[in-house]
Amino acid sequence: MTVFFAIFMLVLGGIALSVQSSINGRLGHNVGVIASAWLTFVIGFAISFLLFFFFESNHEVSLFSAPKWQLSGALFGVMYMLIVVFAVPKIGIAAATVCTISGQLIMSLLIDHFGWLENKIIPLDDYRYFAILLLVAAVTMIYLSNKRIDKKEQQVLSD
Amino acid sequence: MQIVVYLLVLAAGMGLSVEAGLLGPLGELAGHFSATLAIFMIGSILLSLIMIFFAKPNLPELFKQPKWLLTGGVLGPIYVVFLTIATPIIGVGMTMTSVLLGQIGMSLVIDHYGLLGSEKRGIDPYRALALVMILAALWLLSQE
Repeated sequence: MTVFFAIFMLVLGGIALSVQSSINGRLGHNVGVIASAWLTFVIGFAISFLLFFFFESNHEVSLFSAPKWQLSGALFGVMYMLIVVFAVPKIGIAAATVCTISGQLIMSLLIDHFGWLENKIIPLDDYRYFAILLLVAAVTMIYLSNKRIDKKEQQVLSD
Repeated sequence: MQIVVYLLVLAAGMGLSVEAGLLGPLGELAGHFSATLAIFMIGSILLSLIMIFFAKPNLPELFKQPKWLLTGGVLGPIYVVFLTIATPIIGVGMTMTSVLLGQIGMSLVIDHYGLLGSEKRGIDPYRALALVMILAALWLLSQE
């Protein structure tokens, strides 16, 4: 039941990400990607500070006493954003999406397998290998779908 | 040279899973809202520095935009809180796959109805097929 609930929350999270990237795509087009990302983070900071200040329960460890390496998550998010801004004009949205998703899936399964970063170990088994095959096929479909959109936009531009 | 760019984006995508892998245990240790705050506090400090020293932002133009275009940032903390709560329960692999399911599903809905100012596109069969495959993969990942 908790597993189902966790998946449900994450699907909602994915929906939120998708809506966010639609909105930010337009905003970035109007004012630049860096300014749009900056605003996203600043508003996120304001909201997460309010959540933290009013609703966080007591923990023995605080952000100040937690090991510093555990606080480095934001570095990866910001780095991802900068790299994508640099890469999309060079390789296109379709290829960039495929590389991103592949990187995410490969690394997530490795973290599970080895239990890196103090996560629980979930070893690669036959089920997981089959899942990887399906995910490779899914990523191929996503590539073909985005390729069509890339082409359409090029046509609109050349018209 | 193209290959270097591909590898760079692949590494960047790996970084997103590392971020999720860091968030889960940090949330268990210091609290879910603390972990979320860490992401947005450090992220906005970094981006402010980058913007001041390396970009030429047009801030007056930013605040002249229609207000709904400025609301994307409200959704980020929702996503990160959910990520922080769910990752320790189901692991990083299922976490990233579930998020992908939500993203692809919603992108189909956005395109189909032409929401958020996007062009109406109809159901893309490739993407619908991808959705079914991701769902099946998720079921396989949940088996022990």
